[in-house]
Amino acid sequence: MRNLKILLVDDEVEFVTTLAERLELRGFRAQAVTDGESALHIIESDPPQVIILDVMMPGMGGLEVLKRIKTQHPQIHVILLTGHGSTKEGIEGMQRGAFDYLMKPINIEELIKKMQDAIKSQP
Amino acid sequence: MPCHKDKEVAFFGKITAGITHEINNVLAIIKEATGLLEDILSLTGEDAFSHKNKFEITLNRILGQIQRGVAITNNLNRFAHSPDHSPSTIDLNEVAEQVVLLASRFARLKNVDLETGPKDGPLIIKTHPVSLQMALFITIELFLDLTKSGGRIILSPRKIQNKYVVGIHFESKTPGDTDLFQAIISSDRWESLQEIMAYLGGTAQVDKFAPEILLYFTEAINK
Repeated sequence: MRNLKILLVDDEVEFVTTLAERLELRGFRAQAVTDGESALHIIESDPPQVIILDVMMPGMGGLEVLKRIKTQHPQIHVILLTGHGSTKEGIEGMQRGAFDYLMKPINIEELIKKMQDAIKSQP
Repeated sequence: MPCHKDKEVAFFGKITAGITHEINNVLAIIKEATGLLEDILSLTGEDAFSHKNKFEITLNRILGQIQRGVAITNNLNRFAHSPDHSPSTIDLNEVAEQVVLLASRFARLKNVDLETGPKDGPLIIKTHPVSLQMALFITIELFLDLTKSGGRIILSPRKIQNKYVVGIHFESKTPGDTDLFQAIISSDRWESLQEIMAYLGGTAQVDKFAPEILLYFTEAINK
């Protein structure tokens, strides 16, 4: 489980790189990108097992990225990150195939637990 | 069609909500950076360097303040979204709790404890959320104006004879605060409160023996 390949997608570069570093320290293979288009490119060349995806991003929004991931790679688990008061987007994302959602700022242990639950849920 | 004032309030709310998201992102970055420092510290031995314990304590303080900041921005975000739909269906208990959080700083400056009373099930009404919050806030301010220092204000939403009510009860700690009734009804804020309550299709009354201001709300506003 600790060797899990994770892709982090968030336009806040300081947030996403620091979170990737923290996950690396815990033995995960974490890669960070700051926009939806870059995420879709990486998914085509080197698909991860879990994607942590921010809902509110400039350009292609998180829900649109989610839609494309689920069309092309339904086996990849997606956990959404939402801002406060964005429960609606989180629920909408789950209806579109996201495994779950978390509100920022996140708790890293909670994030890891959700990623593990997502992998265990795989048929 | 919304009037100019409604558009102004909606504009103010939209900008404020957007800024709370920005602040939240800043707090998220600080939290991850603090977490990374904690992770690195945990990899070092007990006596790896001097003052390690102080680093850990200070990082914990920072995390505590992040938590505080998140709670404040969450509350401000909810407040900023209040004008999104007006009138809308709300629970008086939730609104009372939110106003207590929003007004806590003002109460603290007068050494007054501000809290909500025990809940007795959901109290759902259809009303104008911003005006409702204004009515509760003005009532709190009214008591704060009239006390020199200290005391306790309790907001208790409840049903009285099938009417939806928020009671705002004040316990003074100052001997000079005993005759509040006359002071309440002769204050400017009391007049403002009456106007807002009339707009909400309700009334404000004073129970001088409690002492408590009772705000009566209509179950469903039409305008």
